Amino acid sequence: MIKLTSIAILSGIIFTSCKPKFEMPEESLGSVNPVNYIALGGSNTSGYSDGALNLNGQENNYAQILTTQFNRIDPTSFNQAFVSEIGINLDGNSKLKVGYKTDCNNETSISPVRVSSTGDNNILSTNVSTGGPYNNLAFPSMSTINVNQMGYSNPFFNRVVNDPSTESILDLALANNPTFYTAQLGEDDILDYATSGGTMNTIPSANGAAGIGFDGSLEEVITTMTAAGANGALLNIPDVLNYPFFTTIPYNGLVIDAAQAASLNSVFNPLGISFQEGANGFLIEDLTAPNNVRKMLPGEKILLTVPLDSIKCFGMGVTTSIPDRYSLTLTEVAEINQKITEYNQVISNLANQNSVAFVDLNTLYDTFHNGTVYNGVSMSTAFISGGTFSLDGLNLNPIGQAKIANAIIEQLNIKYSATIPLADVTKYPGIVFP
Amino acid sequence: MIKKLLLITLLIPFLSLSQGYQVNLQGQVSQAMGGAGLAMTEDGSSLFFNPGASAFIEKKEISLNFTPTFANGTFLEAKTNNLASTVSPMGTPFSAYGLFHLKNHNRLKLGLAIYTPFGSTVEWEDNWEGRFTLKRLQLLSIFVQPTVSYKISDRIGLGLGLIYCYGKVNLQKDLPLQFQDGLYGTAELEGTSHGFGYNAGLYFSATDKLKFALTYRSRINMEVKKGQATFTVPTSLEDKFPSGEFSSSLPLPSVISLGTVLKATDKLSIALDVNYTNWSVYDTLGFDYVVNTESLEDTRSPRMYKAAFAFRLGGQYAITDKLKSRIGIAFAQTPSLDDYVTPESPDSDRINYTIGLGYAFTEKISLDASLLYTKLEREATNQETQLSGTYKTIVLAPGIQFNYTF
Repeated sequence: MIKLTSIAILSGIIFTSCKPKFEMPEESLGSVNPVNYIALGGSNTSGYSDGALNLNGQENNYAQILTTQFNRIDPTSFNQAFVSEIGINLDGNSKLKVGYKTDCNNETSISPVRVSSTGDNNILSTNVSTGGPYNNLAFPSMSTINVNQMGYSNPFFNRVVNDPSTESILDLALANNPTFYTAQLGEDDILDYATSGGTMNTIPSANGAAGIGFDGSLEEVITTMTAAGANGALLNIPDVLNYPFFTTIPYNGLVIDAAQAASLNSVFNPLGISFQEGANGFLIEDLTAPNNVRKMLPGEKILLTVPLDSIKCFGMGVTTSIPDRYSLTLTEVAEINQKITEYNQVISNLANQNSVAFVDLNTLYDTFHNGTVYNGVSMSTAFISGGTFSLDGLNLNPIGQAKIANAIIEQLNIKYSATIPLADVTKYPGIVFP
Repeated sequence: MIKKLLLITLLIPFLSLSQGYQVNLQGQVSQAMGGAGLAMTEDGSSLFFNPGASAFIEKKEISLNFTPTFANGTFLEAKTNNLASTVSPMGTPFSAYGLFHLKNHNRLKLGLAIYTPFGSTVEWEDNWEGRFTLKRLQLLSIFVQPTVSYKISDRIGLGLGLIYCYGKVNLQKDLPLQFQDGLYGTAELEGTSHGFGYNAGLYFSATDKLKFALTYRSRINMEVKKGQATFTVPTSLEDKFPSGEFSSSLPLPSVISLGTVLKATDKLSIALDVNYTNWSVYDTLGFDYVVNTESLEDTRSPRMYKAAFAFRLGGQYAITDKLKSRIGIAFAQTPSLDDYVTPESPDSDRINYTIGLGYAFTEKISLDASLLYTKLEREATNQETQLSGTYKTIVLAPGIQFNYTF
């Protein structure tokens, strides 16, 4: 009995080396040749995330993830001008991490905090052009009209170019003999305006010559790349006002009781402003309103950069209005949405006309906004906890970047007869908690 | 991501052995004959298969049965082309039967059956793509069934067993919450359950050569009342994922079966069984946490099982007086729909192939052995978790049984 049982177990142990066999699906690049892949774009493409250009963001941007997938089939390199872990942004700050913050009411909660008191200044003071040519030619806050501009002044571009007065971004791309490209252009044009509360950088017109309008500038990129023998993919622009940067703080976050409402009304009713018990729109600065102040309306946005302590403890939004740069009015919201619509029309038209792949990021981000599930992981655009956006609320974290890479691959597979496998999104890091 | 990320899923790894409740690793004679043999009166395992047939076993008997079970599963993700394998340990289903009668009361048999119809562990390799749906599921169970079997006439036997079952479950999965070092949080749910049911059988000996059986095993509700949920998450999230108690329940479906045996010659018997398992009772798997937070909500996961048939055909040939050879085949429908297949039970329609031998060393001592082989393949996308791909599983179950009659 024991002997027979042993034989049974032994034969089973031998069996355990016998795994089910699969005929593996074919993997091919089709007519995609990623040997000299050029990634053009703004903040999100550059690896800017968690509020600064930083190494983790660069190592996990969609262009790098795309290359990792290409490499399964045909190994190639993707050169980026890597920076340090703590990184830097245009205000000289380091990247953010999830930490603890104690507010003016002495309440401590988890919140984004800087990983270092200052950013890594070496990044912007050191020219690394000799480390090129670089495959990632995306730069934070780059407008589409700057792609082929001589003398373009952007500290992130200036560090990778030998002489910005004689070479544009597009020149650097051409010098690399591009064989394939992706262009995520236009998003930063919109965001530079939107994140300033509509106070800075008017959004360039959708139509106009290269260097002036969006369509001319984008067409110049496509024509130049095509002439150089590269095919590629154009990414359109998501509805940026659904980003956590604009949705985390509600316009009507002023919640008061009846007594507070009465006391406010005694002051504000003469100014034509009235409050009620419960949720009220914050008071914002609006130069078109009587006395330059009014209550916020449904559909208007408070930006994530608003000083929350001032709101919680020092009456900002009630006794003093919230400064213009922290809010978007309905007019500004309409301008932003109008430009996104126009830009996206340009992008899809140009993709069609030039027969390059078209990647509908707008639809992809909608799935984040509406909530989606990937291999058992729920994802949304909720700030910090949503799992798709980084801590700046504007750029995606590596998981979101992998979703972009997959959206691109799906279109390359269709457009260029390729069978490139998608990336396992959950292999990429999300937000790290203390 | 934090919200509703606990799409906690269970269960039923025993499906990797055979469809549903009908594990049929409770007796080597049946195992060797494709799981058929409800209308046979070979040994004490009839206490499990058909308590009505037990009354027709002449002698007192003790049987011990053990079937080490090996299942190798591999998953091919539909879009990433990545492979993942199970690293499940050997399954150890066993059973023990004691069949007795009082002096001068030969028509009334008393029996005790102890068996483990759910006793396996499904474990997927580290960092596999579905780790946020399931990492490891261990299910242990012991069924104890005291049984009365009565020979109403020379042709008809009726039997009834009361089932008490004890179960233990341990479920582990990763949570998409990262620590500073990049490691993910984990959830572990552990609980015990008790349930009661019954097992009834009718045996009908139509002629010397033709026998019939009708059996019904009742539904059993396995309730986990005070399970322990342990969440290992970063410190800053501990208040959102409080470890504590949970409750859940798993219905084990009723099974109705019809069997027949034809004694074709003195040496050759052929058995044919049909099982109908009412899996439709398993439509939802829920977990209720005693303490809920905005991140830790109660969950309801659709399973949407449907009732399923299994058909079993087996033959036994007596080579000599002492040596019997057996062979069988079975076809079992899967109870799961494509949209609801999970990595804890990547089930499919299946064909089982079985062979076996029986040898009587003396009048009192005999041994039976069998070997079961089956292969599963299922392409599915789970609607709840969106995990999509093809599961393949190979199962090998060599078994041995010792019988002592007196």
